[in-house]
Amino acid sequence: MKPKIAFFDFTGCEGCQLEVLNFETELVDLLNLVDIVNFREAMTERSDDYDIAFIDGAISTESDIARIKAIRDQAKILVTIGSCSSLGGVNCLKNFYPMKEVLKIVYGKDAKYYNTIPARPVSAVVPVDYSLPQCPVNRFEFINLTKALLLGKKPERPNYPVCVECKLAENGCVFDKGGTCLGPVTRAGCGAICITNGRHCWGCRGLVDEPNINSEKEILKEHGLTVEDMLKKFRIYDGWLEVSK
Amino acid sequence: MQNKIISKQDLVSFVNNLIKEKAAEEIVGVKASDGKYAFGELANASELCLDYDVTLLPPKKYFLPQKETVLKFKLGAKPSVEPVADAKSIIIIGVHPYDIKAIELCDAVYTSTNPDPNYLLKRNKATIIGVDCLNPNPKAFCPSLGTAIVESGFDLMLTDIGDSYVVAVGTGNGDKLLNKYAKTKAATDSELAQRDNQRRQALGKYKVSLNMPSSEVPGLLEASWDSPVFKEKSETCLSCGSCVMVCPTCVCFDVQDDIALTLDKGERYRQWDACMLVDFAKVATGENFRDDKEKRFRHRMYRKGMYLITRYEKPGCVGCGRCALACLAQIASPAETFNLLKEAS
Repeated sequence: MKPKIAFFDFTGCEGCQLEVLNFETELVDLLNLVDIVNFREAMTERSDDYDIAFIDGAISTESDIARIKAIRDQAKILVTIGSCSSLGGVNCLKNFYPMKEVLKIVYGKDAKYYNTIPARPVSAVVPVDYSLPQCPVNRFEFINLTKALLLGKKPERPNYPVCVECKLAENGCVFDKGGTCLGPVTRAGCGAICITNGRHCWGCRGLVDEPNINSEKEILKEHGLTVEDMLKKFRIYDGWLEVSK
Repeated sequence: MQNKIISKQDLVSFVNNLIKEKAAEEIVGVKASDGKYAFGELANASELCLDYDVTLLPPKKYFLPQKETVLKFKLGAKPSVEPVADAKSIIIIGVHPYDIKAIELCDAVYTSTNPDPNYLLKRNKATIIGVDCLNPNPKAFCPSLGTAIVESGFDLMLTDIGDSYVVAVGTGNGDKLLNKYAKTKAATDSELAQRDNQRRQALGKYKVSLNMPSSEVPGLLEASWDSPVFKEKSETCLSCGSCVMVCPTCVCFDVQDDIALTLDKGERYRQWDACMLVDFAKVATGENFRDDKEKRFRHRMYRKGMYLITRYEKPGCVGCGRCALACLAQIASPAETFNLLKEAS
């Protein structure tokens, strides 16, 4: 029997589900291996009987907490896809303001009808089996993880910084061009896509296992960033982590 | 060795002839790239930069690509395996002497004990046209290692003497290329004297040097295992791998399988891997034989200054300075560490 997989979205742009749909031709092969039973962005049928749950979006309301716990109870394997569900992501920017103020900024006079809690990754609420942070999720990594799970292999993800892939791509260093970059502490796996396309690393894949944060901060300082600038830089995606505080 | 003269204009024609006449399946050379220089395919001789300081990656990438499929396999009732090795003939233009020395080391590594078919197939189809480095980068220290000038390891070697280049002919293959595609004349004694002068002047432009003869480095390292220098220097190491990814004498790779979504076939590929990365010495049961940055830093220094030299009798570091240029923490230069160890000894 084919394993049943389900997609669930929480607070986020749902771009990760779109990214999975972008697979188009490969999705047909995937459907030979699994049954998709829940995928709001792609189908109307819903089922609460599934084996693997893929979650995108951060947890940011009390009702989110109840919902993710129910999903965890059902799923044999729970995987977060994208930066929001895996790291908290851009949603955690609000955590640096009082919740009341955030509600007022967003909903104005209707703020009283809503509740909000500091945004957090799924792992802050329930145990997560595998995480695939990236904004949006790297669909190749999604497919590789799915294949590994189906084969009973341990899914591998790089434990080295973006610098490695940046050098393999033969990019000039962002710092040499007068910019600043989170590549030296951010987990590779994206192929250094932002730098290859003329930008810098924003840290959307989270940190490597042993980031040398002090050294990175010292380097950012040498390249002209103040402590406040640095924190802002880390907060874009890693606001939930200690590095941003 | 035969020495010829080619005018700068005739060199342009020579390179354009190589491209037009498809003298090899690929004609590559040093080009401006992303604010630096990189070896890449030449569409026209006008792209070629022969007065560059250093390229982002060494030409090693043509023999040991960053990522390369080594076999294809089928699963199921009758599993099968098919090795994959292919190579195009290639002419690489603008290789500096230190990179030629590094290729010689790679050759030694990939031919000794267990010859590597993928490497050798590519290597044997390559023609190397070198150029003397007259504008060394500020981190290079080739003269200390004897890698600033080479007498072999190339098919042709160019030296800029103003309006023209002296071309040293290193192989019969190089000679044939010149005869077929270039207009040259014999070099005079005065032109060879000009070349020697250019080389001598270039030697004076290096800003970094070893404070001891390079032959002393292996012994120095041997006696420095417990030196505090390794811990002090590695404190700011990001374990980002920049130093080892750009290194022309790094030869390590990792092997992984990529299985098709149909789960019935796949490919095995290899990709550059290196000892400064956290998981490099981690084994299947989870133990890591070099589990902190001090051990990894020391290992790299031993590798560059001792292990490779002892095993292959060739410099393990060629002094190109790429690692030091790439290192954001500014700790990667082997010369700097060797000098500190020497001072402390």
